Amino acid sequence: MTEPRIEPELMRISWGPQHPMSGQTRILLDTDGEKVHKIIADLGFTHRGIEKILENRSLIGGIVPIDRMAMVDTANISIGYVTAAEKALGLEAPPRAQWIRSLVCEMSRINSHLYAFGLQAEATGYFPAVFLWTTVDREILLDLFEELTGARWSFNHFLPGGVHKDIPDGFNAKILEAVKYLRDRFKDYWNAMIENPMFEMRCNDVAILEPKDALRLGATGPVLRGSGIPIDMRKEEPYAAYADLDWEIITEDACDVMARTKVRFHEIGQSLNMMEQIAKEIPEGEIKVRFTPFARAPEGEHISRVENGRGELSIHIWTNGTPNPYRVKILPPSLRNMYVFERLAELTNITVADIPVVINSIDPWYLDADR
Amino acid sequence: MASEKINLPDFIASFSEAYSDLVESVEIFEEKRVSIKAKNDKIIDAAEVLRDKYGFVIPIGGGAIDYPKENRMAMNYYLNSPDSDFIIIYRVNVDRTKPILPSMTHVWEAMSFHERETREMFGIEFKGHPNLAPLLLPPDWKGGYPLRKDFKGEGVQ
Repeated sequence: MTEPRIEPELMRISWGPQHPMSGQTRILLDTDGEKVHKIIADLGFTHRGIEKILENRSLIGGIVPIDRMAMVDTANISIGYVTAAEKALGLEAPPRAQWIRSLVCEMSRINSHLYAFGLQAEATGYFPAVFLWTTVDREILLDLFEELTGARWSFNHFLPGGVHKDIPDGFNAKILEAVKYLRDRFKDYWNAMIENPMFEMRCNDVAILEPKDALRLGATGPVLRGSGIPIDMRKEEPYAAYADLDWEIITEDACDVMARTKVRFHEIGQSLNMMEQIAKEIPEGEIKVRFTPFARAPEGEHISRVENGRGELSIHIWTNGTPNPYRVKILPPSLRNMYVFERLAELTNITVADIPVVINSIDPWYLDADR
Repeated sequence: MASEKINLPDFIASFSEAYSDLVESVEIFEEKRVSIKAKNDKIIDAAEVLRDKYGFVIPIGGGAIDYPKENRMAMNYYLNSPDSDFIIIYRVNVDRTKPILPSMTHVWEAMSFHERETREMFGIEFKGHPNLAPLLLPPDWKGGYPLRKDFKGEGVQ
């Protein structure tokens, strides 16, 4: 990036692209002492040209590269692409497949939120232990992914018209066990972090994002809901089995870092409830409909909108009667939230010491912003 | 925020009646998706109407698509409103040989990143954008516009 001009009385600090927090991106901070006047995000260090790659593959072949957009939350990325591809090919997955999709998506969301939560603990500087706890607890979910899909990361489990594999025998009991264990653990997290006075000092009233600014700047996901606006794609445009599941949108009104952290925390609770409901009530039946791998989608355009751990992911696919899509436009949540992060320094008082806490409350995944 | 959602048929009726002279066409191309084609001399006017009169304040993003056979590109802006249950795809056509458009950042500030990305990927210049530096590609990139259809990258067939 060509660096923009700096005001003569300010000092510019370059943060990254290699830095102790997660991900590869560079942030430039124009500072006056401790106070940050301007934030400039320098993205693109992990740009892989996924949109171009998808143009050169069949609709089905695109499932593999798009899974690499956010390793920690692959199921929720994949469901966006598969939903759009399904619309293009005119397929509909049977109910059991839809429930399995919701199950995998919710497990993926917990995985993603736990990671964000652990990093938030790390960023405040007081709780390295919590990062290790969340890492260990994510293992439980990764083991479940492995048993269900055969892979711990980027499992490509969904395909247009269904899912690859059915739930193995005895798997539902394991889900219920994991849910019970994680619920107990969350009491520990709540006591160790949210109710800890030191954590409160670092997070309360920091980086306040007013609801009108959140809307105007295009914030999405827990950042938007942390500003009290109840927008969630799972309710707005229910996909998979979300219309049949009992859950509610979590919002917090404080608009600060703590509010965003609490939204993630309570969303994990909702996801656990959904996992439990799915394990108990999943309908019997087929898990996929037949389709030809190089099926030609008729000319048209289709948009899917799904809720990732980080917010709304929209995928717009244009098809023109060949096996490959004509164009795929991905609108990732992290790119939108990074813009919000850039503007935050102008909206509220941020110090250099707040930066790790604030950026983790936004929870950007640079791989997904860069594509 | 009003709890009543704007209903799609009502929106189409109201918008077509009051502002049909600002746009070329309004159509529903899929469930909950409305495509509005802009008139090239009224791009900003129609955008301001969508934002101010109908509450489409949330910029979901933007991106272009290339049609070399028709010698045009189309820029799409994806818009949402807290009170609607549908989204708008606001389309602006641009000549492929002279791709210049007014920047939408004065209407939706957050289109900034998306316009920077479109400029480096498609070569569309956005007049009035505060900083059109490359967003994702390296600053010294000289390989052309990767998302145009005639781009041939190494190893890309």
